[in-house]
Amino acid sequence: MRKVVAMVGAAALIVSGTILAIPSASAAPVCGTKAGIETCGGVLSNGAAYVIKIPSNFKGTIFYWNHGFRPSFPYPGYTPPKGIEEITMGNNITKTDVTAQMLNLGYGVAAYDRSTGGLHGWNTAESVSMLKELVDTTKAKYPSATKSVIYGASGGAPVVNMFAEKYPELTDAVGLATPVATNIGRQLQSGCDLFFIMSVFFDPTIKGCDAFGQKGVAGHMVALGELAKVGALLTAWSKNFGAPGLEYPAALKGSGIPQRSALLLMGLLAGMPAKSQHMDGISTSAAVPEQSINATLAILENTLDASATGILAGQAVAEVVGGKFYDNTKTDYTALLDDADSGRYNLGLSGDEAITAMLTMLKMAPRITGEATAMAGIKALDKVNYTSTKPTILIHNEADRLVWPGQSVAYVDAKRAVFDAQQSKYEDAVASAKTGAQILAAKKLKPTWNTLALYAMTPETYTKFTDTGLPVLSGVGATSGVGHQSFPSAQVLAWVKLLYYSANSGHLPSDALIAKNIAAGVGLNPDLEFRPTELKY
Amino acid sequence: MKFHPSLSKARLLALVAGLAVGALALSSLPASAASDPGVTDTEIVLGMQLPQSGPASPGYNKVDDAMRAYFDYVNSKGGVNGRMIRLEVKDDAYKAGLTVSTASSLINKEKVFAFVGSIGTQTHISVIKDINRRGIPDIFVNSGYSGFYTDPKKYPNTFGGLGTYVVEAKILGKYLKETYGDKKIGILYQTDDFGRNAVAGFATAGLKFTPKETAATFIAGTQGSLGLVSQMSQLKAAGVEVVIIAAVSSASAVAISTAAKIGYAPKKWAIISVGADATTIQGLLYAGGVPFATSAAMLTGVISASHAPAAGDSSDEFVTAFKKINDDFNKGPSKTWDNNVLQGMNSAYLTTEALFGVGKNLTRKALVSYLETKGSSLSSAALAPLGYSKATHEAYTGFWVGAYDASTVLKPVGTDRVVYTTDSGTGPVTVSTYKRPAMPVDALPKGA
Repeated sequence: MRKVVAMVGAAALIVSGTILAIPSASAAPVCGTKAGIETCGGVLSNGAAYVIKIPSNFKGTIFYWNHGFRPSFPYPGYTPPKGIEEITMGNNITKTDVTAQMLNLGYGVAAYDRSTGGLHGWNTAESVSMLKELVDTTKAKYPSATKSVIYGASGGAPVVNMFAEKYPELTDAVGLATPVATNIGRQLQSGCDLFFIMSVFFDPTIKGCDAFGQKGVAGHMVALGELAKVGALLTAWSKNFGAPGLEYPAALKGSGIPQRSALLLMGLLAGMPAKSQHMDGISTSAAVPEQSINATLAILENTLDASATGILAGQAVAEVVGGKFYDNTKTDYTALLDDADSGRYNLGLSGDEAITAMLTMLKMAPRITGEATAMAGIKALDKVNYTSTKPTILIHNEADRLVWPGQSVAYVDAKRAVFDAQQSKYEDAVASAKTGAQILAAKKLKPTWNTLALYAMTPETYTKFTDTGLPVLSGVGATSGVGHQSFPSAQVLAWVKLLYYSANSGHLPSDALIAKNIAAGVGLNPDLEFRPTELKY
Repeated sequence: MKFHPSLSKARLLALVAGLAVGALALSSLPASAASDPGVTDTEIVLGMQLPQSGPASPGYNKVDDAMRAYFDYVNSKGGVNGRMIRLEVKDDAYKAGLTVSTASSLINKEKVFAFVGSIGTQTHISVIKDINRRGIPDIFVNSGYSGFYTDPKKYPNTFGGLGTYVVEAKILGKYLKETYGDKKIGILYQTDDFGRNAVAGFATAGLKFTPKETAATFIAGTQGSLGLVSQMSQLKAAGVEVVIIAAVSSASAVAISTAAKIGYAPKKWAIISVGADATTIQGLLYAGGVPFATSAAMLTGVISASHAPAAGDSSDEFVTAFKKINDDFNKGPSKTWDNNVLQGMNSAYLTTEALFGVGKNLTRKALVSYLETKGSSLSSAALAPLGYSKATHEAYTGFWVGAYDASTVLKPVGTDRVVYTTDSGTGPVTVSTYKRPAMPVDALPKGA
């Protein structure tokens, strides 16, 4: 929760200088010019605020920003945001964005508050309509805006994808940052597994995702109750690093297996990154004697950072799909433990016997049965066909703590499958073509690969230790590759420049231009074949 | 291209169609030999990962220098088809996180053509999927874990550089059961793919162990920090008379010295070969204060197995030739001749043979195809052939059983050296009929 508060609060600070007179719904935008930037503000037909900024050196391309998931309701210490939070992608750690730099480059920028009546939640379908209205409004105001980059981050990615497929005529390039690039249910299943595993090994009172689904404030208060239970565990572990032995289930009490081994197993089964803001998964010290212990602390830190947003997002999705979407009656947890992980983290998992014992407990543990309607609902939620022909560029941290980078991998794979099918169709048509006309027709079927995934990498090692060997969990930590929506400005600028080029050329940039921008975005991986950890589902 | 306005529509269509057909014809031509990364007209770049530092490094950290020494020898003779071999090595300290990052460096910065001779089961397993996904050959891997090799559909580009732990354990287990069947046999193994693989092989040979009694385990990496007192005490309490060790050399050294400290004197030790290098064990014991003479006495009679001649077998032509090349070309910090150096030399020898065998048109696909179709005909110092085929990428299919003599040279347990062969499944252990081809006079193999 603290992180949610910090994240949202920071985002609000980013735009604190943008105070606009808000006209009535759907009225023409109110504009003013200052220091060569024309800023227009208004509200969409549902009352949500929007903003457009056009520089005096405008080059004809506007970037339309779609921010991520925001909880709807006030919680202790948290007030739902009102109005425009982000105009371009903000950095959750440094509390900066690149709006000024983009305007200097001659790019126009536009953004809107993804809310209806002040409520946010998981509102993809509504947001697609809102974005359409924003684009139409902007184009009407600025006829010289000939190119549109539709881009967004995190939970804003489904909006971007659905918009690009529904309105190709309004889309010239697609940008997906740290995106929920495929169905959110794939990752929520792993997220819910986390809570299930916590309930088995640490606190049987945790219901996790089985508690989700009740609509409105009451439902969110139930979710907060679950968060509090998880928070208590995390608070204790942040002090003892999970050293005490397992208390649950009864069969493992006194087994000598430390809680941290179950914590590590939990992270590995879910596919959570084993690097975090301060733990590199490699470095060792007197108190962290082995790499897998470092990785365990990374999973702890990632869980600390991600649990609040994850739980609240899960509840928000449950509201949309109509109840309890989580079902693990058919989950084979043993199969979820990757061979490489079992070996690499064997010591942290307390060895083969402990691994077997813990997996046996998970196999025997009573499972959670979901509600059929909700389960079907989440599968169908925010459906994307991966058929957009517009150049698409993703950017993701290799160890994103919240939206795991496997989302980007899965998106590219899905696009690749569509491309391969189109390519086969094209090759078949060419092979069977006899006449010139048939050949011409066949050649029109030739698909163009239009998807590029950029990954921000961590330094090889970056964990710092105190004199006694304890890890330092404060301060900046890794300067790249960790956190969620926390890209350094240089990386964001590299991404938007490539998007600008793509929107104006109609295709991905050349290898040379990609390499040049990757080099400028220090920390971006020049290896375009890189694949981070894949999703479990 | 500009369309001339005076062209008729029919002529325009014909022209465009003609161009299209032409383009198709061009695209159907065989691609010019696409040059894979790491290969030029003058050079082949190979990559290797191993623990050059850290607790798992002793002994194994000599393999890369031995390989480079042999490649330098090859280069001094003109290289392979005019191409010099350059070996780029990365230290992963036996930390999988570093294995991942250094593999990326070898692929993207060093642009290696292939990985060769990488060491470490638990480290290599962290990168094997990615290496295979990229279509990079991953040859002569210094791990005997059968899971890397027995399903080529899973890892099509990975080929073993050691006989599998299963094969070795089946052969060693057969000998132990026949010779010490009346004794209580136990095992100390590391709980990872290496240890589990060996235990599976012993089980196939009829040697089964009871957890917490005749089977003592430890987590790889803790032998130095936590020691093995509880494990050796367990075996002592269980009355185990023959102790098998399936672990890395540093653990073998700790186990033997710990047994001595607690007054446990099993009648016999038997050690899986990768943890049995006498020079390495003696070096580790010496660092712990055990004089060489004492450690030699401790190792005398210890049983192990090998797919190759003993490093101390001065009558073997491969040993003799490799020792000379080691003397002349090894620039490493320690080029003391031992099993690790022999294994490194032999891996480089096989690599050279395969590169020659593929020929001038060297591509990644060609190398993999060559190893699958002709790899079993490659010869080396090994006394058993490589098991390579399209169905399996297992390396040496045979071992002989020996015991260390007083000068820590592995000598056959019988009057003659008998090589046994089997598979990584449930096939029988039989006497091998393989006749090792002679080494070329110039110690340069030209391919099968």
